[in-house]
Amino acid sequence: MKVLVADDSRVMRQIVIRTLRQAGYDWWEISEAADGRAAYEAVLADPPALVLSDWNMPEMTGMELLQALRAAGVDVPFAFVTSEGSTQMRAQAEAAGALFLIAKPFTADIFRETIDPYLE
Amino acid sequence: MTFEMDIETFAGTDPVYVIASEVFAAMVDGEPGHVGLWEGPEPVPVEELHAWVDVAGPMGGRVLLTTERSTAVELTRALLGLGADDAVGDADIVDALGEVANVVGGNVKALVPDPGALTLPEVAGTRPETHPDDLIHALSLDWRGRPLTVSLWRLGQEEMIR
Repeated sequence: MKVLVADDSRVMRQIVIRTLRQAGYDWWEISEAADGRAAYEAVLADPPALVLSDWNMPEMTGMELLQALRAAGVDVPFAFVTSEGSTQMRAQAEAAGALFLIAKPFTADIFRETIDPYLE
Repeated sequence: MTFEMDIETFAGTDPVYVIASEVFAAMVDGEPGHVGLWEGPEPVPVEELHAWVDVAGPMGGRVLLTTERSTAVELTRALLGLGADDAVGDADIVDALGEVANVVGGNVKALVPDPGALTLPEVAGTRPETHPDDLIHALSLDWRGRPLTVSLWRLGQEEMIR
């Protein structure tokens, strides 16, 4: 299963990927994008099975990325992993078509509990 | 919006301390128990690094993380899962400290009623300009014997533009 992790922080991308491995998703083929624009181009070039995206990024935010993908007719499963998890942002994410929003800091348990239901 | 927070309303538990503890347990240490409140006088800092995020808006705020460069290096090693002898580059130090400020800031923002957008993190060796009267809260932490301060500041438009 191809998964794209989009975050402008290399350190955070490493933490997300490490936590995904710890959560048991070591069979995923994970690629990385350093901002929303790079993620948009990567998805169009080779659509993954899931995009895990930060919200607040330069060039193109996670929300702009999701909206651009949907506007381009790309219905790739999309979720946020972001430092803000307010009710308002969760509602915004859901309204835009995101599967879920995981707030930082996260644990392997949170990843598993949140992601597993979408894999069945 | 306002960036006001009444620490007293959190039943004696400092919400910033709770946030910092959770961030370090989940992201940095992989287990709880390595962050506490700093006890006694703080040592004179050597080669400080500052990381901050702002909550935008007409009456915004700033979450500022201050520590020594040597602590930022250890934080970076912990975040990247590197060994004690592994080299750490400047870009990773800036990235790591900025991300810690970003995650703490994002969670602090959730405590504030009706906040504005969070800015991208900034990291510098020079402390960003703040007025002493604008200090809302400061917390001195002890991470594995190393001092680290989290402070919250009231911020007007002018400071945010700088």
